[in-house]
Amino acid sequence: MIDSIQRRDKLSPNLLEVSNLSVNFETIDRTVEVLKDVSVTVGKEEVVGVVGESGSGKSTLAQVIVGVLDIPPARIMGGRILLEGKEILPHPENKVNFRGKGINMIFQEPLTSLNPVYSVHDQMEEAVNIGHPKLEKKEKEAIIRKSLAEVMIRDVEGVLNVYPHQLSGGMRQRVSIAMVLVQKPNLLILDEPTTGLDLIVQRKIISLIMNLKKEVLSSILLITHDLAVAANMCDRIYVMYAGRVVESGKMRDVLHDPKHPYTTMLKNSEPEGYANGAPLKVSSGAPPDLRHLPPGCAFNPRCPMAMDICRSKVPELKKLADNREVACWLYE
Amino acid sequence: MNEPILEVENLTVQFKAKTKMFRSTGDREKWKRVLNAISFSLRQGETFGIVGETGSGKTTLARTLVGIYKPKDCKVTLYGKRVDFRKKEGILLLRKTIGIVFQDPVGSLNPRVTVYDIISEGIPVWEKLKEEQKAEKVREAARLVDLPESKLESYPTELSGGEKQRVSLARTIIGGKKILVLDEPTSSLDVSIQAQILNLLIRLKKELSISYIFITHDLNVIKYMCDRVAVLYYGQILEQGNTEEIFEHPRHPYSSDLVAANISFSSTTKFSEVQESGEPSKEGCVYKNSCSKRFASCDNEPPVIDYGKGTVKCWLYSNMRDDRGNKMER
Ligand SMILES: Nc1ncnc2c1ncn2[C@@H]1O[C@H](COP(=O)(O)OP(=O)(O)OP(=O)(O)O)[C@@H](O)[C@H]1O
Ligand SMILES: Nc1ncnc2c1ncn2[C@@H]1O[C@H](COP(=O)(O)OP(=O)(O)O)[C@@H](O)[C@H]1O
Ligand code: SF4
Ligand code: SF4
Ligand SMILES: [Mg+2]
Ligand SMILES: [Mg+2]
Repeated sequence: MIDSIQRRDKLSPNLLEVSNLSVNFETIDRTVEVLKDVSVTVGKEEVVGVVGESGSGKSTLAQVIVGVLDIPPARIMGGRILLEGKEILPHPENKVNFRGKGINMIFQEPLTSLNPVYSVHDQMEEAVNIGHPKLEKKEKEAIIRKSLAEVMIRDVEGVLNVYPHQLSGGMRQRVSIAMVLVQKPNLLILDEPTTGLDLIVQRKIISLIMNLKKEVLSSILLITHDLAVAANMCDRIYVMYAGRVVESGKMRDVLHDPKHPYTTMLKNSEPEGYANGAPLKVSSGAPPDLRHLPPGCAFNPRCPMAMDICRSKVPELKKLADNREVACWLYE
Repeated sequence: MNEPILEVENLTVQFKAKTKMFRSTGDREKWKRVLNAISFSLRQGETFGIVGETGSGKTTLARTLVGIYKPKDCKVTLYGKRVDFRKKEGILLLRKTIGIVFQDPVGSLNPRVTVYDIISEGIPVWEKLKEEQKAEKVREAARLVDLPESKLESYPTELSGGEKQRVSLARTIIGGKKILVLDEPTSSLDVSIQAQILNLLIRLKKELSISYIFITHDLNVIKYMCDRVAVLYYGQILEQGNTEEIFEHPRHPYSSDLVAANISFSSTTKFSEVQESGEPSKEGCVYKNSCSKRFASCDNEPPVIDYGKGTVKCWLYSNMRDDRGNKMER
């Protein structure tokens, strides 16, 4: 068993391999299938995006990988997650915390990853202890200052002494990035890292991450609802709908020639590229309610191409040329 | 171009900021100026955009225009009539003519009453309608915003984000408002739902011949929706004018920073200027602590320069006037 896993690692250049992952949320009165048979890989030095509208399961996926998903109410129904060939999927009886084990995550709201009762300095110190446990105190202090300077914070000493809520949103996000960087993760997971930030700050955070990626980080998994943000950062993307991956491929290919009708709709929903006031090509209906999914393809009530088979059978992911995948009856 | 229907001149809004002083001196009142000498106009049938970052005063402007806040100073003219904010008639005139759709669809709808009741709240009290007439109007408004009649008996918590915004819109248009102030009407929505609402807004504008003041921080939405746009920064309009012109040739350093930062399918990540932005300045040019073009004059309040297709408040353009004060092309 161990042998085969190690061999597998040698064969595959992937840092992270999520395969056939299924997760339910179970409450007293109902069970919701939040992830269904999801497979995602992140190669070394690759930036991979997971894109979809609310409720598609993006954050749940990120949380399982990092090991911060609450089990229960969540329940892993199947699948595996390999990080550098090692199984890391937590089972209900051993809830492991993966901090310091090579994965780290920057959350949608940086306040959730920063502890409000500790000063920035004390939190940075804790983070450095994870990434550089053997160093002297003086060296650790130097690393703290260096990493804050790397995220373009000018007044490093000033920032060190304050508490997270005293910082602006952009500064908080910088601090949480710095904190993650000193932990030297192999894989950085970003869950909507710029959502809710002002435009100029957003742009700066994106540039910052991409610049730092070249120097420090190896791989990034970016979770976002914003196709344009993904287009600016990712090498490859996965499009999710109602808990399933419905399309994947190189970012450019998917953006220029979307195969799945949902990806097309996502792209056409962005006002960019339309003349002032020209009708946006979008169909009616809303993102699905996981508690009441239609039979067959979950997108069928909104799909302009839906056929009879779409209303009864779920399409499987099918491989296409150029390492693309799509789950849609149009490609059978 | 059409006549202006709303003209706002030198609108200043400030709030009391209570600061606890030493016990012996008691509370001392300080004023926080949130909007500073704002001037713009809205023409019949136009969509006028207000773009600005968080805290720039967008929502305050929206709420002032429907009479929720009293400005310290201003001259507001609505269909040729001067609005007196100190008098009941002034506020009534505003409320009769201008409707608002709030930023947060969750917080702006009373969760304890049905959608039917929420929409009918929008019917002006002076209309004194019979129950059947009222019901007819509510159904008509629901139809206009594509809200299925079956939803009229629902409560707001049972609606999706997009449906909530349709209800807000129905409540506003049922009162026959001529101007709608839309405060980030799609910011909390998924992109496919945003697209539906934008389509709806464009259709309603034509069908009801209304005009919009459209507030958002999303440049791609501004570009798509608006004829003209004002760029708001810390309570001041730094540039305003034709939307296309501002996107193609932003004059103000803040406008060009915004346009350069815009994230779109075609933008590239090669945005090397990642220095931290400075705080808005309380003296001189408000943008000077972040401005890459700053020079000696910027410690003084910049003039507002008319460049024909718009205005810009920046010292860089002060030499665009000749000796007699006439405009010059640059
Ligand atoms: N009632 C009030 N009393 C005191 N200060 C206020 C009040 N309303 C708003 N402010 C302050 O005025 C400034 C502008 O607020 P406003 O809500 O208008 O900004 P905004 O541009 O709409 O921001 P956002 O994009 O976050 O919605 C902020 O500093 C805010 O704290
Ligand atoms: N703790 C929880 N208990 C029950 N349901 C949950 C919980 N967390 C998330 N969900 C449900 O799981 C689905 C996917 O959520 P999420 O992964 O946050 O999606 P996304 O990030 O794509 O918006 C949603 O329908 C959400 O309501
Ligand atoms: S499977 Fe059918 S309903 Fe689903 S996306 Fe494809 S064509 Fe549309
Ligand atoms: S007035 Fe000066 S500081 Fe202000 S935007 Fe113009 S150049 Fe920059
Ligand atoms: Mg999420
Ligand atoms: Mg606001």
